Amino acid sequence: MLCNAAVTSRVNGQAASGLRAEAGTEIMSYRDALHWTMHDALQRHDSVLILGQGVDDHKGIFGSTTGLSQEFGADRVMDTPLAEEGMTGVAIGAALNGLYPIQTHIRADFSLLAMNQIINLAAKYKYMFGGRFDVPMLIRMIVGRSWGQGAQHSQSLQSLFAHIPGLQVVMPSSSQSILDTYPAVIDRYRGPVISFEHRLMYDLQFYVTPLATRQEIDPFGSRLVRPGEEVTIVATSIMVLEAMRAAEHLALVSDIQCEVIDLHCVSSPDWDLVMHSVEKTGRLVVADTSWREYGVCAEVCRVVAERNPGCLKAPVVTLGMQPAPCPTAKCLEDLFYPDLRQLVDALAVLVTGKKSHGLPLPDTQSMADVYKRFKGPF
Amino acid sequence: MENSQKFCELFFQALRIRLVEERIIELYPGDAIQSPVHLSIGQEAVAVGACRDLKKTDLVFCTYRSHAFYLAKGGSLGEMFAELYGKVTGCARGKAGSMHLAAPEVGLMGASAVVASTIPHAVGAALAAKRLGHDQVVVGVFGDGATEEGVYHESLNFAVLHRLPVIFLCENNGLAVHSSQKSRQGYDILDHARSYGLPVYHIAEGYDFVKVADMMSDIIQRVRLTREPVFVEIRTYRYKEHVGPGEDFMCGYRQPEEWLVWKRQDPLEQYGNLVETFRPAILKEIDEAVHFAMSSPFPSAEELLRDVV
Repeated sequence: MLCNAAVTSRVNGQAASGLRAEAGTEIMSYRDALHWTMHDALQRHDSVLILGQGVDDHKGIFGSTTGLSQEFGADRVMDTPLAEEGMTGVAIGAALNGLYPIQTHIRADFSLLAMNQIINLAAKYKYMFGGRFDVPMLIRMIVGRSWGQGAQHSQSLQSLFAHIPGLQVVMPSSSQSILDTYPAVIDRYRGPVISFEHRLMYDLQFYVTPLATRQEIDPFGSRLVRPGEEVTIVATSIMVLEAMRAAEHLALVSDIQCEVIDLHCVSSPDWDLVMHSVEKTGRLVVADTSWREYGVCAEVCRVVAERNPGCLKAPVVTLGMQPAPCPTAKCLEDLFYPDLRQLVDALAVLVTGKKSHGLPLPDTQSMADVYKRFKGPF
Repeated sequence: MENSQKFCELFFQALRIRLVEERIIELYPGDAIQSPVHLSIGQEAVAVGACRDLKKTDLVFCTYRSHAFYLAKGGSLGEMFAELYGKVTGCARGKAGSMHLAAPEVGLMGASAVVASTIPHAVGAALAAKRLGHDQVVVGVFGDGATEEGVYHESLNFAVLHRLPVIFLCENNGLAVHSSQKSRQGYDILDHARSYGLPVYHIAEGYDFVKVADMMSDIIQRVRLTREPVFVEIRTYRYKEHVGPGEDFMCGYRQPEEWLVWKRQDPLEQYGNLVETFRPAILKEIDEAVHFAMSSPFPSAEELLRDVV
């Protein structure tokens, strides 16, 4: 398997029974990768400032900033007032005068209070002033799911930001993705970057390239995470893991080999990678963490339709949230998000061309072992 | 007083801004300036007084009505006219127009067309100055209308909480577009600001550039030494319409009598002989700046997608 991030089913820090680090690999949770990159940024760059509500408390943004305030000082890892717009403006001003701010929103939903500063100011400061200013900053936003996060703690708002020229929007789908993206962005990129982290991945363990042998790669663009011949799955964030599970299931029960592309940087994906894959397989499934309407699903379809619609052997299939606010009752939430069975079924129908394809569907629901064990509360 | 060197220097600076904007009024019907202009005429003394004792390394964040602050802080006049003309030689390569002037080489850190939106930038820049150990003073300029925005409160709170070297400068012309302050505010700006626990200053004579400069000199000195925030309200008066080159006293939302009160105290209106003394040199500079703008090229097509990310 070519993917560099093999998800295991371990959650909540349980022992790695049966999981063995292979030669040349290490294991690191999404949370630990985040914490490592935050620590690394503070250690290597005196200009780095982490600011957000609760970054210095005992929970430390789900463990991603724990202890950093004590180690680097409260003036570098700074708890903030409840003032999303003001604090984003403060981050912009700090960036304009020599700092590198990393701002956190413990739920992406809260960033809506800062839209004026993000869209009217941060995204435009470089262009609107003819390239005379840079606003280097990273805004971390966490997408919630499960345990009744509901309508205002669950939104995955990547398309709102990716719509706006001037913003780079990334969606790390693994520990490796975080290790590849954050240090490179902080070291080298001089504009505003928004990262959507998925809460349900914080507890997951991934194989990563050993830190000592890390190579610098483009922090933006997209990643081919599994090669295949029959169908292309373009996915974002935790849906990359769903796509991998679906691909592995189909490989077990059939000859269908799915090619999986982690779109990763939804604001500037590697469209050549996507088109090359779709032209090879002739079939496309897009699986996004958000609503399909006017979002990543729609955008991927736009690009294929504009560049080479003739390469498609069948209509595209898109999976995303149902067109409603997120409900809290588990029975409704299960219907709201696409599950693994739906994804496998959609892939099988698409490749075989038959509604009754006869292939067995997986017993588990989408990432159900993870979601059911997630006990929140947040 | 009108013979003192300080008075003459400030008079010259204020007159220069007024004559620049009067030239914009002359040029505007020709449609070569295709940008909404928010003229500072009547408010020049605030800018020249506030900027007199600022260093180039001190930072000013402005509003869309920023011709005066841009020039008072030392921005290039030629680049300003070129920007208004949409030329690639403009201070923002023709992408800013009148509302987003900037001159980072002299500490003019940009202007926003969204009310109050640069106030937190001044606070953030002051946070960086504190963290990096600079002796900078940062000034956030905003109007009375901006004090109604939530981010104003957020910015004051954070600056006081972290004791940041920022001057909150409220340029109070009593109007938000066409709405009077009384019709918009259920609080007193000074009392409200004072409640945050920072020093509060008031200058009623916003036409008196010497008074503004003297008080601002003390305030700047204080912030440079104490590294703590202060609030200053300077009363002033907008002579022209909110946006555009005209007057609007016939529209009924304000009376010409109040304008006359300000004009009678405005040194630029009262010292005609001094105006005549300085005018030729200023007009020559303006002619050259306009010529530079007119003779400069427009941005090429490649400029459209340059500097997006």
